[in-house]
Amino acid sequence: MKMNRRSFIKACGVMAGYAVLGVNMTKEAAAAAMGFVGLRQKSVYDADANVYKIRKSQDNPMIAKIYDHETGFLHEGPCGHMSHHLLHTHYVDRSARVKALKAKGFKFNL
Amino acid sequence: MKKIEGVMAQTNAPKGIDPDGIFFVQVDPAKCEACGTCEEVCATGAIQSINDDGIRAVVDPAACMNCGQCLVNCPYGAIYEGVSFVDEIFEKLQDPNTVVVSMPAPAVRYGLGESFGAATGTYVGGQMHAALRKLGFDYIWDNEFTADVTIMEEGTELIQRVKEQGQKDARPLPQFTSCCPGWIKFAETFYPDLLPNLSSCKSPIGMLGPLSKTYGAHETHTPAKDIYTVSIMPCIAKKYEGLRPEMADSGFRDIDATITTRELAYMIKTAGIDFNTLPSQQPDPILGDSTGAATIFGNSGGVMEAALRLAYEVLSGKTLKDPDIKVVRTHEGINAADVKVPGFGTVKVAVASGLANAAKLCEEVRAGKSPYHFIEIMSCPGGCVNGGGQPLDPDVRASLFKSTVAQINKRFRARRITA
Repeated sequence: MKMNRRSFIKACGVMAGYAVLGVNMTKEAAAAAMGFVGLRQKSVYDADANVYKIRKSQDNPMIAKIYDHETGFLHEGPCGHMSHHLLHTHYVDRSARVKALKAKGFKFNL
Repeated sequence: MKKIEGVMAQTNAPKGIDPDGIFFVQVDPAKCEACGTCEEVCATGAIQSINDDGIRAVVDPAACMNCGQCLVNCPYGAIYEGVSFVDEIFEKLQDPNTVVVSMPAPAVRYGLGESFGAATGTYVGGQMHAALRKLGFDYIWDNEFTADVTIMEEGTELIQRVKEQGQKDARPLPQFTSCCPGWIKFAETFYPDLLPNLSSCKSPIGMLGPLSKTYGAHETHTPAKDIYTVSIMPCIAKKYEGLRPEMADSGFRDIDATITTRELAYMIKTAGIDFNTLPSQQPDPILGDSTGAATIFGNSGGVMEAALRLAYEVLSGKTLKDPDIKVVRTHEGINAADVKVPGFGTVKVAVASGLANAAKLCEEVRAGKSPYHFIEIMSCPGGCVNGGGQPLDPDVRASLFKSTVAQINKRFRARRITA
C-alpha cells in the first residue's frame, strides 16, 4: 500500500497520541498501586541511591572511629565488653498479664 | 489535651512509672462512630467493642503493642495519644544548664515534610537538621548513626550464631531483629519461648541514648548529668521503649523524652520556624554521620538489606559491588529470599511486615520448621515510614465518601499477593 505525506503524518499523530495516553495511564495505575506507603518507601530507596555518598555501615568513617582497635570507645569491636554493657539488652516474659485477662473472659487474636 | 497535627494528646512527661500500665493510645468514646476500622488493623485484638453500640476501646495496655495503627487509620480522629513530652522539651530547650541533644529516626525525614505541604514521602533530612538547630538543640545527633552501629553489632551477632551452631550452648537460629518496639513487646507477650531467638542488640535509639551520655559526653566535654536526650520517632511504641526500666545503662536514664514526627512538626510550627525556607544542614558528625544502609531502616526489609551488605563482605571476604539487594525489599506481607554469598553458601532470610504476619513466622519457629537464618519483623505495614507517629494520610480523614473508597482500595491492595 502506498502512503502519501498527509496520511503518514496522520498515522504518526495517532500513534504519538496513543503513546502519550498509554504512558499516562500506566503511570496512574502504578501510582495507585504504590499508594501512600509506597511513595514514602520509594523516597527512602531514592535517597539511599542518590543522597547518601556511603551506602554500607562498615564504610562510615565515624563507625571506624568508634570501633578503632586502639583509640576507639568500642575498641574491642562489635559485641565486645563495652558493647554488651551499653548496647545489648535482655528481654522479659510478659505473658502473665494477657493470660490473666483471658482467664477473666477477654478474647484476643492470639 | 492538646491537638498535635490532627491528633489529640495528653501532655505529661511520665518518669519512673512502669510503662506497662500506660495507655499510649486510647479511644475517645464521644468521637467513636463504631466503624470498627481500628479493630481490623489491630493484630492482637487489644482494641475491641466494649458495649452493644460497638464503641471501641483498648481494653488493657498489656494486650496493646502501642504501634498506633488504629490511630492513623481512624477516619474520625477518635483515638488519642496518652503521653506527650512536648511541653517538657520546650522547657529544657530554654534552660541554659541543660544540654539538649536530638536523636531523630531515619523514617522521620520521609514524613516530616508532609506537615509543611510537601508531597508524600519527600526527603527533608537537611531541613530537619536545620530545624532542630533552630529549635535550640545543642547537639544534632542522629539515630541513623546508631543504625550503622546496630548493623555492626547485630550483623556480628548473626555471624557468631551461624558459626556456633552444633556447639554446646549455641544461641538458636533464626535470629530475629530487635529494632521494632512493638515487635519486642509482642514477642515478650505472646512468644516468650522465642526470646532466645531475638537479637540481644538494643534498637538504634536504645543504643544512641547511652552512647550520648557516655561517648558523646566524653567527646564534647559535657557532664553526662546535664545531657537531656530527645528521641524523635515515627512511632508511638518508642515512648514505651524509652520508659523501660532497664534503659539506664549509662548510669542515668538513657532516653529522657520521646516524641513522634507529628510532635516535632508541632514544635517547629509552635516556635514560628518557617520550615520551607530552611537551608539543608548536616548533623554533628561524631554521633550523627550515617550511610544509605542506615536510612533504609525506615522500610520493611531495610534492616535486612543493610545487614546483608555487611554479612556478604564479612562472610565472603569480597567487596559487594552493587549494594542494592532488592529481593528483600518488602511493601507488605511476608517476603522470603535466598541470598547467595560466595565462600559461605546460601543465607536464608525472611521479612514480615505487620504483626499478624510476624505471628505466622513465629509459629513456624515454634514448631521447629523455620528454614531461615535471619528474620526481620516490623509491626507497621511497610515499615517505620508508615509508623503510628507519622503525619496522617490525608485520605484517611477525608470526606466520608473519599475515605470509604480509600479504605476499599487499601483492603483490595492488601489482598493481592506480591513477590
